[in-house]
Amino acid sequence: MTLVSFYRILKTSMTSFWRNRWLSLAATLMMVLTLFIISFFVSILLVTNKTAESLRSKVDMSVYFNDSTSKDQIFALQNILLSRSDIKRVEYTSKEKALEIWRERYRDNDKIRDAINSTDNPLPRSLEIKTERPEDLESINIFLTSADYKPLIRDISYAQSKLIIDRLVQITNFAENVGVIVSLIFIIISVLIIFNAISLAINSRSEEIEIMRLVGASDWYVQGPFFIEGAGYGILGAVLASAVSFLAMKLSFPAIVNYLGSGSADLIYSGINYWLIAGLELATGLFLGIICTVLAVRKYLK
Amino acid sequence: MAHDLHLKLKEAIRTKNAEATVENNDGSSTVIEFKNVSKSYPNNVHALKDVSFKINIGEFISLVGPSGAGKSTLIRLLTAAEKPSSGDIFVAGRDITRLRKTEVPFYHRKVGVIFQDFKLLPRKTVYENVAFALEVADATNEEIREKVPNIIEIVGLTSRIKALSEELSGGEKQRVSIARALVHNPKLLIADEPTGNLDPVSTWEIIELLFKINKQGTIVVLATHDKEVVDTLERRVISLRDGSIVSDQNKGKYVL
Repeated sequence: MTLVSFYRILKTSMTSFWRNRWLSLAATLMMVLTLFIISFFVSILLVTNKTAESLRSKVDMSVYFNDSTSKDQIFALQNILLSRSDIKRVEYTSKEKALEIWRERYRDNDKIRDAINSTDNPLPRSLEIKTERPEDLESINIFLTSADYKPLIRDISYAQSKLIIDRLVQITNFAENVGVIVSLIFIIISVLIIFNAISLAINSRSEEIEIMRLVGASDWYVQGPFFIEGAGYGILGAVLASAVSFLAMKLSFPAIVNYLGSGSADLIYSGINYWLIAGLELATGLFLGIICTVLAVRKYLK
Repeated sequence: MAHDLHLKLKEAIRTKNAEATVENNDGSSTVIEFKNVSKSYPNNVHALKDVSFKINIGEFISLVGPSGAGKSTLIRLLTAAEKPSSGDIFVAGRDITRLRKTEVPFYHRKVGVIFQDFKLLPRKTVYENVAFALEVADATNEEIREKVPNIIEIVGLTSRIKALSEELSGGEKQRVSIARALVHNPKLLIADEPTGNLDPVSTWEIIELLFKINKQGTIVVLATHDKEVVDTLERRVISLRDGSIVSDQNKGKYVL
């Protein structure tokens, strides 16, 4: 294929696009919408994935000790725990460290932060435990609440981690299912509209196509404009969808981070890679557009 | 006016006939050969039954016969728009029944075809219509700029080169079709009832043009109902009826 013939095919394609411009516009918008929705759900999945990942690496269980418990007792317990195969890590947090953490956590809130000072530090010492699997938490809890250790321990907090992860899994599954169904619906509608647009283009040029065949145009010269049109919907749709996605991200991220708390900032910004989303949109758009052309050409171009 | 043209054409033909004709009757000048060609359609319609004939360089063939005799079918087979049910068709030594799908467009570029309904691109000028045939064959813009005006001059439409196809008369439209058919210097020009939609004056203009093209070496196969045209031409006439050839005469007359 020469450059000049590509240019001619391109020109034919654009003329055809323009001639049915309202339908072409509808098809393009539908593509943008579909791509955006797919990106939206993919983004949700990316974030929940990242969150689950990061949660998994954090602490699973915190064991808070009474002030009466001696340091030796704590370290003895720590060694016993470390020797267990279902425990990954056990870290000791001293009162001073606990105070540091407190100060850091409430650095923006003077009242709360200053409620505790180093002279009269009520914060308990703790062992932070990381288990191999969430399922192990139960048995470790039983171990720690046995008669041997009960008097040493003031409080055990672990339920939340499991709960959060369960919740996360629930959200992920839900988002996946809803996402797939909704995306599928939009994909089907898009395909129908774009298929229609290209079929219309083929039909409205049927006279010209007959003459093309008569004077000996090769198949790609005849079909070329329609493939360009299909791919065009994909590319144009992707470019617009990327722009909308970019805007949506820019506007919504600060609000989301605000709502979920400052800890989420890292998750959201690192979980969603803008170029990944843009690339996904382009690939999907091209794929859908070209599939539609193949179907339309097969049906209407003898 | 039509009568004058008719006479003028008769004169031209007489002159041509008087010249020493370059007819070789040995097989090497055979350009087209139909060998036992049959074509049937579903519903048991036998459009062509065991048709055989040869066409040599420079011949002008009139193909006649009542409606349904098989003229259009024969032409469709000759343009490779369809394949025969049986038999072979050779054009310039090539068996066109064995053309692959990708080769058909190239065959189409070598054979010029014109029809009763002209088949011009709407909303395009004479120039654009003729140029179209070149564009489709990947000709450069420069080649197009050179060739198109020349061909338009051959068919005598230089004064109308910028007119849109809708603005043309029937005869002019057919001349554009002929010009388009000539862009690749075809050795074969097929005319399927080209004068069917034309008035008598235009009819003779077109026939004269086809005759002129034939004089310059192109084989012309003319399918027609027009008895007067066939009789005037005094050329070979192949008559079809019910799918078979009933007569094949040099200097034939229109016989129903």
